[in-house]
Amino acid sequence: MPTLIIDGKEIDVKPGTSIMEAAKLLGIFIPHFCYHPKLPIAGNCRMCLVEVEKMPKPVISCAMPVSEGMVVKTESDMVRKARQGVLEFLLINHPLDCPVCDQGGECTLQDLAMKYGPDRSRFHDHKREVPNYDLGPIIETEMNRCIHCTRCIRFSEDVSGVEQMGAVYRGDHMRVGPFVEATLDSELTGNLAEICPVGALNLKPFHFQARGWELKHADGVCPHCSVGCHTRVDHLDGRILRVMSRAWNEGNETWLCDKGRFASDGLGVERLLAPTIRSGANTPPKKVSWPEALDQAAAILKSVKPEEVAGLVSDAIQGGEELYAFQDLLRHVVGTPHLDHRLRQRDFSGDELPLTRADLLMNTPLSDLNRADAILLVGCDPRFETPILNLRLRRATQGGARVIAIHAKRLNSNLLQFSQITVAPGGEVERLHQALRALEGNDTQDPVAALLKSAKKPVIVLGDHAIHHPEAESLRRLSVALLDQVGGIGSDWNGLNRVASRGNSAAAQDLGVVPHRGPGYARLDAVGMNAATILEAAAAGRVKVLFLLGVDPIEEALDQDLARRALEKARVIHLGAFACQAANLAEVVLPGLAPGEKPMTLTNGEGRVQRSARAGQGPLEAKEDWRILRGLSDRFSAPLGYNDLDALRKKMAASDHRYDLSKLGPNESPRACDHSPVTRGLPVSVTGAEVAGGIHLVLESSFYRDDPVAWRSKVMAKLARDGRLRIHPDDAAGLAIVENGLVRALYGEKRVEMRAELDKNVPHGVVFGDFGPGESSLRGLCDYTSGFPKVSLVALPG
Amino acid sequence: MKIVYQNIHLANSHTLAVYEANGGYKALLKAFDLGSDEVIEEVKRSGIRGRGGAGFPAGLKWSFIPKNDPRPKYLTCNADEGEPGTCKDRDIIRYDPHRLIEGMIICGFAVGIQQGYIYIRGEFYREAERLQDAIDEAYAKGILGENVCGRGVRFDLAIHRGGGAYVCGEETGLIESIEGKKGQPRLKPPFPANIGLYGCPTVINNVETLASIPTIIERGGAWYGGLGVAKSSGTKIFSVSGHVNKPGNYEVELGIPLKSLLEDHAGGVRGGWSNLKGVIPGGSSSPILPAEVCATITMDYDSLGKAGTMLGSGAVIVLDKSVCIVRAVARLSRFYRHESCGQCTPCREGTGWLAQIMTRMEAGQGTLEDIDLLQDICANIGGKTICALGDAAAGPVMGAIRAFKEEFIYHVEHGRCMAG
Repeated sequence: MPTLIIDGKEIDVKPGTSIMEAAKLLGIFIPHFCYHPKLPIAGNCRMCLVEVEKMPKPVISCAMPVSEGMVVKTESDMVRKARQGVLEFLLINHPLDCPVCDQGGECTLQDLAMKYGPDRSRFHDHKREVPNYDLGPIIETEMNRCIHCTRCIRFSEDVSGVEQMGAVYRGDHMRVGPFVEATLDSELTGNLAEICPVGALNLKPFHFQARGWELKHADGVCPHCSVGCHTRVDHLDGRILRVMSRAWNEGNETWLCDKGRFASDGLGVERLLAPTIRSGANTPPKKVSWPEALDQAAAILKSVKPEEVAGLVSDAIQGGEELYAFQDLLRHVVGTPHLDHRLRQRDFSGDELPLTRADLLMNTPLSDLNRADAILLVGCDPRFETPILNLRLRRATQGGARVIAIHAKRLNSNLLQFSQITVAPGGEVERLHQALRALEGNDTQDPVAALLKSAKKPVIVLGDHAIHHPEAESLRRLSVALLDQVGGIGSDWNGLNRVASRGNSAAAQDLGVVPHRGPGYARLDAVGMNAATILEAAAAGRVKVLFLLGVDPIEEALDQDLARRALEKARVIHLGAFACQAANLAEVVLPGLAPGEKPMTLTNGEGRVQRSARAGQGPLEAKEDWRILRGLSDRFSAPLGYNDLDALRKKMAASDHRYDLSKLGPNESPRACDHSPVTRGLPVSVTGAEVAGGIHLVLESSFYRDDPVAWRSKVMAKLARDGRLRIHPDDAAGLAIVENGLVRALYGEKRVEMRAELDKNVPHGVVFGDFGPGESSLRGLCDYTSGFPKVSLVALPG
Repeated sequence: MKIVYQNIHLANSHTLAVYEANGGYKALLKAFDLGSDEVIEEVKRSGIRGRGGAGFPAGLKWSFIPKNDPRPKYLTCNADEGEPGTCKDRDIIRYDPHRLIEGMIICGFAVGIQQGYIYIRGEFYREAERLQDAIDEAYAKGILGENVCGRGVRFDLAIHRGGGAYVCGEETGLIESIEGKKGQPRLKPPFPANIGLYGCPTVINNVETLASIPTIIERGGAWYGGLGVAKSSGTKIFSVSGHVNKPGNYEVELGIPLKSLLEDHAGGVRGGWSNLKGVIPGGSSSPILPAEVCATITMDYDSLGKAGTMLGSGAVIVLDKSVCIVRAVARLSRFYRHESCGQCTPCREGTGWLAQIMTRMEAGQGTLEDIDLLQDICANIGGKTICALGDAAAGPVMGAIRAFKEEFIYHVEHGRCMAG
């Protein structure tokens, strides 16, 4: 532990710490531009020069490791002179356009120039002129302002792994930019603007929207995937204008993905503005007061037997508060056991077992994932499901971890030491079973078995495709068994990770928004129907009232046709933020608030319970969802027992101790993976239901458009791929299907017409389609029972 | 006394046959007999300092390479020779490539290196060809390869041709360039002796340094150390250019008076000693010496250092009274602006600024404040950059203003040069 003195203050630090970091621990700020705590050291801006006794020249504090007895001065004359010199150099070619620069007011160069810079220029020669690049919908460039700190270059090389930024030319002609001018093709592009210390790389969606000092900031948690990144939500006059990252070492470090950063513009689109009711099927909705709407909703709920009511919930954008209140209302006020949030799931066989929280969530904290030495991805595309989790995996691979992905299509991965086993849809189960047999028989020929066997810290990640697989439970059990074989499920290392990609599905599991468990994983006497059965029962008229919380089953349920029939047959109450088909069909519409407009409890994939503060303002008449439910319960004999947020949160905490955040210290983060052990030793049945022959349809979620806020966002629309039918060029040629040609896909009596995209990453005998949203999604061909349907394709003219 | 250039007057001196006929590759065998530690001791004893410009003792550099390190080690020969005025290494490669190869094998043996690279300046096309021929000859004869001279030592040698960037003559810029990256110097520490080429311990020496090694081994470090003067032992090739009657490469003992070098070897200053204006003694980055200092100074590391300049690569650029110092410095400043890699702020912005002001000054559009500004910019660059290129750019400007300030003032006041 070297001891050194910085500005007269003594400190002990770990060997290898830089002077900059040691000074930071002492609360001494050393000005810098190129240094970034999460990027490799470049040492090129020379702003952080400090004086070290016995060294003839000033040294850069970001790169110089401390040594015993070092005496550092950060404010000596030598240092001040050096800083002034560097700042003058940086400013001579920097335009004086702060008044029209997005970065103005939050610019490192501006701040340091105020503090150390000259008040007038001695530069009377020609300023450098640099052309700008069109880098697509995320980044606006003004390269005259670039100070060549190379943070963006280091980010793309080291962090995102998409080497699109670089430097060309030399000397003062050096230009930072893309080698080939093209849209930046990365899911992490927004970070380039965030780490740019000047206004060279700006956020295009925020360009000229507001000045930094006008904005108010709220501490948010990103609702768009299950990582739950910490965000700083910048808002002005009730509108969310920008989302920036909030440093969180255990999670997103300082990064955000583009969805989390930019989807918020979808909040202002297609909102439900006021409560409405309709008296009959073909009458137009009528705007009414809140009491009238709630009376009508209560009347509908009371008009049928309690068990003829069922509830469906979105796990994408609803906070823990309304999830808890919703199940409380349905179970204890209305008295029905039928509610679920899993509208995409095919395999509900796990419901028969008392699965624990550990079985359903992650068991390796995000901050430990980068220490893994072997990674098996099962039906998981982490880069486009949970990008920030993928960064952790990438860190692990940078440390030497090897990766095998088992998936039905070739992944576009940025992990190192990455190899892929592409299986026919459904073949994942048999493939895992093969690996398990190999491990049991000590056969090291099998690459999956060899990977896990060689590892000390193996990790298996079950992703979206695995969770919505027809044999999801078998995949999960096989993963447990595989890890168990190699000692990967222990008290010091647990590598089982089931990562549901949607933002708050962990809270929905925790708080009992499932038919077979109550809040806190409590056993229930009366087990209700799951999402698939609810929709069938509603379409068949056995469920007579559907209460929807933030979800449009026509947009989100796996069987689109069934969902439509269910909604048309049953009486529908819709509580949600956005206008949608379900709201159009509903008899009562209760406008709620969207994420960011209300204080929310969000539980991430690690099971970490987090709170997001209110930032923006919803429509004037919309109300916090749980308050609507509370108001509705007043129309019943036993209303919900909480009148304010605190009381509700206390109830949540009482049902699940992990939701009790009152004992946390001010800088303490809620605990990750705070749950019981994984259930081991469950029998595994392998049906071998691998599809063969013909062409089979696999649905995948479209990263940029897979929740109701994101698919309304204009920025996401620019980033998302077209929701086309993706087919291998060889298969397409056999069917006379051409790129962008119209194709009719048929399955049974269902048909969908859509344009084709030829994609070599799709294997033979498979077509891929986006889950949604939209009318003409290939979801129109699917149902809950037929697995990966064998479809017929017909090329159409035009 | 000729050591490095001892053979270059011979016909076909570049061939293995001529080299061997004149005692070539005998030192290598002697080195094998001495053993690696003793070879390093001999080189330390010789006191030879790096001939590329920095003047770091070569034996010391070799001894910094960690022993018992599991990583491979590399030897890199810096044949980039980009310093304006320098042309000594070219003649070694052209006329005596085997001397370099022998020196590299000895170094490899002493330090425990099995792979050497010669990073040769891109413009040296024919030299690279000739060097490759020599390497091929050595391989054919079993001098290079898996079993050097049958002594069970492995040494492989490959040529890497540069792309013509001055900054790739800086050792870590050179390493980056060999690795296939943009030629930008690295932060130091870590030094190449620990983390160098491909992240492994690396020795980097200049061509002239390595070409001196065979003789040092053959005749002993003590003998070599007896040449020259204290702390500047041995011989040095000076590339004398500019206004002398016989410009060329001259190998002489260190410590020779500059006047003797110019008058006795290089045929005298054009128009006589009295016509001398100044001498840039160690390549374009060394500050200029005015004529009165030239008369007495001796050419060794320490005396030139004391005079505020440096021995550098030994490129002696002689300027007579016809030279416009402002114009000469402006040209040099444009060179450094062009060659700055652009990585770190003071050099990237400072060299451009210096060049713009110097160009303006030369055209008679400077001001008296500009002269102070130039000195201030030089002070702000000096010692604050990643590599020495910033100092190299500041050196000529600082030196010229120090020695010839009146010419700058004349340019400002009269809008033209006093030299006519």
